Amino acid sequence: MKLLRLVALGLSISAVLPAADFVENHDTLYNNLTIERRGTVVELRARSRGGEYLESAVDLADPLRLVVQYTRTLFAAALHEPAPKNVLMIGLGGAGFHRVFVHAYPQARIQSVELDPKVFELSQSKMAFKPNARTPVAVMDGRLFVKRNREQWDWLILDAFRGGFVPPHLKTEEFYRECAARMTERGVFVTNLHQGTELFAADLKTMRAVFPQVVLYEVAGRGNVIACAVKYAEPAMSRTPDVAGLKRVYPALAEKVDLAGLAAERIAFPEAVVKNARVLTDDFSPVEFLDALKSNNTNAR
Amino acid sequence: MGAPGGGRWDFLEFTLATGGLRPPNLRVHLVIFYTLVVLLGILSMGFQLLASRLLNPFFGSSLIVWAWLISTFLAAFSVGSILGGWISNAPTSQRIRAQWIAGAVAVGSLAFTAFFGRAVLGQIEIAFTEITTGLLVACLGLFFLPVTTLSSFGPQCVQFLAGRGTPPGKASGLVYGVSTLGNIAGVMLTAFVLIPHLPVSTLLYLWLGVALVNLSCLIILLRPDQPALSP
Repeated sequence: MKLLRLVALGLSISAVLPAADFVENHDTLYNNLTIERRGTVVELRARSRGGEYLESAVDLADPLRLVVQYTRTLFAAALHEPAPKNVLMIGLGGAGFHRVFVHAYPQARIQSVELDPKVFELSQSKMAFKPNARTPVAVMDGRLFVKRNREQWDWLILDAFRGGFVPPHLKTEEFYRECAARMTERGVFVTNLHQGTELFAADLKTMRAVFPQVVLYEVAGRGNVIACAVKYAEPAMSRTPDVAGLKRVYPALAEKVDLAGLAAERIAFPEAVVKNARVLTDDFSPVEFLDALKSNNTNAR
Repeated sequence: MGAPGGGRWDFLEFTLATGGLRPPNLRVHLVIFYTLVVLLGILSMGFQLLASRLLNPFFGSSLIVWAWLISTFLAAFSVGSILGGWISNAPTSQRIRAQWIAGAVAVGSLAFTAFFGRAVLGQIEIAFTEITTGLLVACLGLFFLPVTTLSSFGPQCVQFLAGRGTPPGKASGLVYGVSTLGNIAGVMLTAFVLIPHLPVSTLLYLWLGVALVNLSCLIILLRPDQPALSP
């Protein structure tokens, strides 16, 4: 009987674990992480609420290939601030975005902040990320970093997930104001959102409370929406950015990211959805509840 | 004496039966007494969730934050229990004075956290760049005192029952059992009902109001001239 139970348990575990070249699991301070390898692609997944969410993926044979779809859409920031020199990214993952960024912008620097030291370790040991002077990493809470670091950022990218969950203090009006204070005048705030939940509407309403302009890019078929926001009211964030000029000045970027396709992913701001949403503040941010019907980073499984 | 049965009054009957009491007056007293004990539990543990929401914008929501927060509350429970034990056995006049002082400190410190908590955290964040030191100061400064003084009423409730005929072991079990049910209610109510619908600042004012009423009633109920709950 015991043996049968063990076999059943083994079968149920194998049903949960994906078929891959290797699978290893880590219980960290903040996550339950799984590293999978499918051919040359290494995936970092986080288990949460009975699901497993793709946090990051890197093709070791071609590290400049953006495997996770939404990381390509994060480059929508280039359509609004085409010449970033100093970028802050909250949330490291496997640093797939970073590799393309430093390739596309050889003179620029991208600072990362990652809460989970194990994620940082795995990004190096399993996903071949080699942090250097242009790609430094700070292991700490993203909001603390923004408060304490006095640099000004041309792009400030918020992509901090704990499994499928976003810490409430990284979703509030006060935090967005702190971010805005650390952005250059032409700087772009970029964040990865999920459609189809009340949190999405509240997120947009909160961003609008801080940033005069917010535009959205939809990641095709994934449920992710990348929001880009700026501190200036004028000029309007162009619907027809100078993609040709961008290609000419940054050919390495154009080589890796379909900029015209990216510009075409822009969607209208859902005014009707946002109208009745509440602004999230440090005093009121029931993120977990608004996010109850949420999807995940990519829905890819 | 068997365990409480299925009827909704059986739990009270069980306690009342320990001394063959005079209902209904004493039943009312007991209902009030246990309600106040449940509220004490709700106030303590619900406050822990509110405390975490207060800390998050300043210190994040990492394991470090939770470790300090939980440790602070446990330390406060510990000190509060010892303090409450001492108050329970003090001479009557000293005991009454100590109860009012503890109640006033609990309400006053809760008021301080409710009205000035965020401003204080902002200053602590600036003053202490080391997160661990900042958290220690924040937790001790804003949460330790209210929880310690609230906890000090636990042993006094035990003494209240024990002094009225309930055997000390049973009195202790009843008070801490009921109080722990209040703890659970505090966590669930705060997490699933209150935080999703109300701002943290409003909830802190609510906590302050409930603590004021609860402790006032409890201190009055704990007066030595109250009728015996068992002969």
